[in-house]
Amino acid sequence: MTWRSPLALVRDALAGQRARERDLRSLVSNLPFENQKKTRQPNRYFSGNAIKTTKYTFLLFIPMNLYEQFHRWANIYFVGLAILNFVPVVNAFQPEVALIPILVILSLTALKDGWEDFRRYQSDRKINNTPCFIYSMKRRWKDVRVGDFVKVVCNEIIPADLLLLHISDPNGVCHVETANLDGETNLKQRRVVPGLCIMFVPESFDSTVVCERPNNNLNHFICYEKPDREKVGAGIESLLLRGCKVKNTQYAVGFVVYAHETKSMLNNSGARYKRSKLERKLNTDVIFCVILLFTMCLIGAVHSLWLQALPGVPPYLVPYSTGQLDSPALSGFYMFFTMIILLQILIPISLYVSIELVKISQIFFITNDIDLYDEGTDSRAQCKTLNITEDLGQIEYIFSDKTGTLTENKMVFRRCSIMGTEYPHKENIRLAVLDEPDSEEEVIFDQPPRTPQTGWSLEAEDTNLEDARHHHGGRRKSKISLNADSSVAFSSPLETEVIPDRKLLQKISKTESSGRQQMDPYLDFFLALAICNTVVVSTATAQRQRQSALTSDNLCYEAESPDEAALVYAAKAYGFTLMARTPDSVTVRLPSGKDLVFEVLDTLAFDFNRKRMSVLVRHPVTKEHVLYTKGADYAIMELLGTPYAIAADTQYHLDCYAKDGLRTLCFTKKIVSDEVYESWSVKRRSALAAINDREELIMDTAVQLETKLSLLATGIEDRLQESVPDTIVALREAGIQVWVLTGDKPETAVNISYACSLLKDEDLLVIDGHTLAMALSSDLQDRFVDLAKRCRSVVCCRVTPLQKSDVVKVVQDKLKVMTLAVDGANDVNMIQAADVGIGILGQEGMQAVMASDFAVSHFKHLKKLLLVHGHWCHTRLANMIIYFFYKNVQAYVNMLFWYQFFCGFSGTTMIDYWLLIFFNLLFTSVPPIMFGIMDNDVSAEMLLGVPELYKTGQGEYKSSTFWVAILDAFYQSLVCFFIPYMAYWNSDVDLFTFGTPLNTISLFTILLHLSIEIKAWTWVHWLIMVGSVGLYFIVTVAYSAACITCNPPSNPYWILQRQMADPMFYLICIISTVVALLPYTFHVLRNSINPTPLMQARHLDKLDPFSRDQWIKEWRS
Amino acid sequence: MMASSYNAKDEDGNITVSGPGGGALRSKKPENTAFKQQRLPAWQPILTAGTVLPAFFGIGLFFIPIGIGLYVTSNNIKELEIDYTGSDMSSPCFNCSQSFSWNSTKPCTCTIPFHLDQPYDSNVFMYYGLSNFYQNHRRYVKSRDDSQLNGDSGSLMKPSKECEPYAYFEKKPIAPCGAIANSMFNDTLELFYNNPNGTKVKIPLTSTGIAWWTDKHVKFRNPGGSNPNFTAVFQGTAKPVNWRRPVYELDSDPENNGFINEDFIVWMRTAALPTFRKLYRIIQKKDDLLPTLPRGSYTLEVVYNYPVRSFEGRKRMILSTISWMGGKNPFLGIAYITVGSVCFFLGVILLIIHHKYGNRSNSADISS
Repeated sequence: MTWRSPLALVRDALAGQRARERDLRSLVSNLPFENQKKTRQPNRYFSGNAIKTTKYTFLLFIPMNLYEQFHRWANIYFVGLAILNFVPVVNAFQPEVALIPILVILSLTALKDGWEDFRRYQSDRKINNTPCFIYSMKRRWKDVRVGDFVKVVCNEIIPADLLLLHISDPNGVCHVETANLDGETNLKQRRVVPGLCIMFVPESFDSTVVCERPNNNLNHFICYEKPDREKVGAGIESLLLRGCKVKNTQYAVGFVVYAHETKSMLNNSGARYKRSKLERKLNTDVIFCVILLFTMCLIGAVHSLWLQALPGVPPYLVPYSTGQLDSPALSGFYMFFTMIILLQILIPISLYVSIELVKISQIFFITNDIDLYDEGTDSRAQCKTLNITEDLGQIEYIFSDKTGTLTENKMVFRRCSIMGTEYPHKENIRLAVLDEPDSEEEVIFDQPPRTPQTGWSLEAEDTNLEDARHHHGGRRKSKISLNADSSVAFSSPLETEVIPDRKLLQKISKTESSGRQQMDPYLDFFLALAICNTVVVSTATAQRQRQSALTSDNLCYEAESPDEAALVYAAKAYGFTLMARTPDSVTVRLPSGKDLVFEVLDTLAFDFNRKRMSVLVRHPVTKEHVLYTKGADYAIMELLGTPYAIAADTQYHLDCYAKDGLRTLCFTKKIVSDEVYESWSVKRRSALAAINDREELIMDTAVQLETKLSLLATGIEDRLQESVPDTIVALREAGIQVWVLTGDKPETAVNISYACSLLKDEDLLVIDGHTLAMALSSDLQDRFVDLAKRCRSVVCCRVTPLQKSDVVKVVQDKLKVMTLAVDGANDVNMIQAADVGIGILGQEGMQAVMASDFAVSHFKHLKKLLLVHGHWCHTRLANMIIYFFYKNVQAYVNMLFWYQFFCGFSGTTMIDYWLLIFFNLLFTSVPPIMFGIMDNDVSAEMLLGVPELYKTGQGEYKSSTFWVAILDAFYQSLVCFFIPYMAYWNSDVDLFTFGTPLNTISLFTILLHLSIEIKAWTWVHWLIMVGSVGLYFIVTVAYSAACITCNPPSNPYWILQRQMADPMFYLICIISTVVALLPYTFHVLRNSINPTPLMQARHLDKLDPFSRDQWIKEWRS
Repeated sequence: MMASSYNAKDEDGNITVSGPGGGALRSKKPENTAFKQQRLPAWQPILTAGTVLPAFFGIGLFFIPIGIGLYVTSNNIKELEIDYTGSDMSSPCFNCSQSFSWNSTKPCTCTIPFHLDQPYDSNVFMYYGLSNFYQNHRRYVKSRDDSQLNGDSGSLMKPSKECEPYAYFEKKPIAPCGAIANSMFNDTLELFYNNPNGTKVKIPLTSTGIAWWTDKHVKFRNPGGSNPNFTAVFQGTAKPVNWRRPVYELDSDPENNGFINEDFIVWMRTAALPTFRKLYRIIQKKDDLLPTLPRGSYTLEVVYNYPVRSFEGRKRMILSTISWMGGKNPFLGIAYITVGSVCFFLGVILLIIHHKYGNRSNSADISS
């Protein structure tokens, strides 16, 4: 390296800073600069592709980790106490020993952090060293720089964000699988930047790429290229994102626009932390403990003054080296701090670590629950937020979206209305779920949906018989091939279950034979179904070789939204098979077997403002420009040019569909004249190349073309998910209010609500978006919430995502309840507004899942997640926390405190300091953690069978519970102290000989207290409980045998051995333990006379499974 | 039982999905093990009247006999306490208690007559008792050096800092150092039997065997090993400030002198409570036929050295026979009888409740 002046270096750094901050970045190829120095490289300001996710460096690990850990106030508190030990005036026994607990805690945490960081380092190194092919010498991911050309072969993972310049496929289209990025398994289409020649040579690439600053929006990117002549625009459809896989092409070559600052990296924000309700309560109780501690210390400090009132200086008062005793006030002041050190265990140091451990285990159990596993998508339940598992047991309100949450979001074509004539597809009724709202639900939902053959093959007559067989065979085969590759989205066999309407079939065959093909609205309708979409056709066997001749047998449609797939399958059922799709053409096979190749002139993609999409094609026969548009009915109806009568009839039909719970869509056709097309396409091109407001311009051009459409119509069904009504009934029995917030029409929403047993009676509130906006205004909020509280169900329809989150917030604030939001698509706002957000790993989008706290694959999983896991998590954690407070108050703090009354409030401990620390750290630390991890108060079957138990589990941790536990601890400590005190009164007992039975009684009481609390004993429980007692005796015996003078001035030598040879020791231990636990008689009496529901459930649990189920059934009816 | 019924499901459910990349990925399906599915076979006890009944009766039946045994044993122990503090004008030790200071050289003796109503048959243990003496005071308890007492010659000449301010006297290390040693009890107690014929018979008191065996032989050792020349061993050390004699002149018996003097060891085992007794001497039973201490009148002769007025303390001499349960203390016996009776009584109540409510649980209604 040559020497450069510091000024130049600074200037360079500033230039780099500016280059990175700029809104637009200009990038050029690195190849011309290949052999030049680093300082001459044009793209040197942009970071390389090497990633570093580690938090620490090797040398600075300890200070950095300590800094992290001291963000927790509890740690600061404990370290402060440990330091207080070293202040000479408080006369701590052994300041060094007092450091041990906090050191253990800190080093355990540091060890965990270090291990995690090491794992991250390893994975970073592995990723950084992944080989890749760059158009230069280097061949590792970390060597990829902005401005390089990278070649990616099929199925290879993309190393950086690439602007796609060239692929092997001559039509310039490849696909990417973004599963690593957002979990969506459908293939997304990517095309090379238009206007580049087929023969691509990196060396001759002399354009400048201008792109925007890196951001984390996965679905948005704009840039343009300046080859010297003119600007060429490119968007997200030309960007290959890091982490995706390339498909459907042999190789692809891209220009690196973002390395390291890739969209996937910017999206990676890591696990979230929320604070649970229980934790908030816990913190209040910790504050109570601090108050209690200070009170006790104050009592100690004041009483210590009493010794000063003696007539002389007693020989046991030791003066300082100077021969002076402190003044009373000063010694009282010092004593306060001595007492704080002595009684500090009142705030349990191990509590926080234990809570963390228990939560990790709860996440482990949730993710490993086989009942929450979905075979279809091979996905488990996911916990994204790590520390609110216990909130699942506290939910009072559930807000649910409809599409993809209650429903499967797997669409099936059900009915259609063409030119004002309805084709009800009666053959489908047997399959249909929602055709008859009046029929009984059980019949509807128990119907096996896959028995189509009988109805169809009997009724299909004459000409279509052969065709039908053909289709039937195709269906079969596709089923098999699809099962083999279940990760392909929206192609489950259910969607193909469309049985053509007889009348409609006849109509089509008639028009086909008559030869008036071009004009016929029926043919147009099915062509629109087949063409007007962005469905990707691939074969299940060979996804890459798309050029080969295809039969309709092994076609596989991959759609971005499930309704598209449903419509294509519907068209296929009528013989209009979508055979192939390239960016420039669509091939459709007609029922007659003829293939029509439409040239695609443009695709006006779907957006939420227009709520429709269009495809502009050139008809191969008539050579006309035809625009097919598809969209929501209200988005289409206003643009119609067709006669009013047809529109009115169709609207009527659509309303009927909506009432039946079907989702409705309208299709239109428009023939565009040559002149209109020419002028429009110019505007369109300039809009595409624009970098500012590109989206709006593109949308404007789309709106311009989509006018005066002629109407075709259809209705498709969104199937309810499995066991949704069941789940909702159970959740309501569990005392949870379920609200449905949907963007659908009121009719559809109400219908769905009936179907999923949400509505059964009149206490129903249906409110639509406009009304809701008013109801949520600040002066009406209270009354709205008050009204909603009185209704059994609330359905909000036609609401925007923002309103959804407002509703959640209002309910949360006004009613002070725990809320849970479920969504299967992209209502990120609502999910984040609620206390607990749950995402359904659904069919459409993963945004909700990414923003959620928990993700499950079906709505029905909520039942077990809440009723079982929620109950367990909350009960376990609450019980453990209560037990921890009890244990620390009982075990030492109070015993030590009572002893102060007999040692002149001088802060003496009657147990060796090491044993005191062992007691908390070794002998009594594991049982409560085990209790928190493994206790099963009621079995899962019982919790599922009797959802009412959920409600009763919510009262597990009240402030009264805390105080009862503290009172119990006071009582027990009194017993455990004063029985030995009386027994040893006026005897020659020495300090530690007196302390040993206290210690032992304490241990037995604590463990037996826990034994009574444990509801289910497995071998693990036995092992740990017996092991703890064994460990106590072994360690204490070994310690008091080995240590003659090793720990001055405290000396427990041979104490326990002598005690264990004395029968009095055992007699004192037995009676103290029995008396300490005697108050449990109250529990026994209550359990016998007035058992709680949970207690009754535990009784039933003891019955054999059969009679238990019998009982539940009887009780239900 | 529960665990086994779930195993069948495991086998057919274990599918492997071949990913689009071609490599066979492991299914994410969780393992169906009893632990992961939280179905470990468990024993689920429920506390109801019916289930805990036997425990209550058992405790009752077990505790009451023990209590009676303890009570009887405690009652059979003979014990006599004589307070010789001398704070009353009428007390024989009044003069001694008033004229005291730590440095007085003239011994003050007082004599207290007492009477035994019953003969003491077995070995009799003689204790001295102190009240209101906080031998467990935090800074007092710390004020000792165990390595010095263990015979470590380094610690002998350089006592631990914990002994401050009783570590050095006029630049010489104090042996034994610390406040505990410094405040050692130094009254001398002697017993005389007043024969009916008028003669006073001195009762022989054994001064060994009063400390713990482990203390005498392991924890406490004289410096210089078995060197009998204590003067040379303790050369260069000072006696504790309040002591009249150096530590190597506590007894004439070399096995009971220096740090292993048993009176000293007993004192160094600090008491747990402010009112305590410490074993002083043992009166051995000599003759199987004669009681150790026959009925009659006795005299306690006290060389009154130890001041207790400064902390309003009291001094006692205690004579006690001993049983397996130690000294006389009826508390534990009474406690056992009481708790046993309460448990038995609760057992009866629970029995009634069990009969009244016991069958209800199975037909219970959860819907409350």
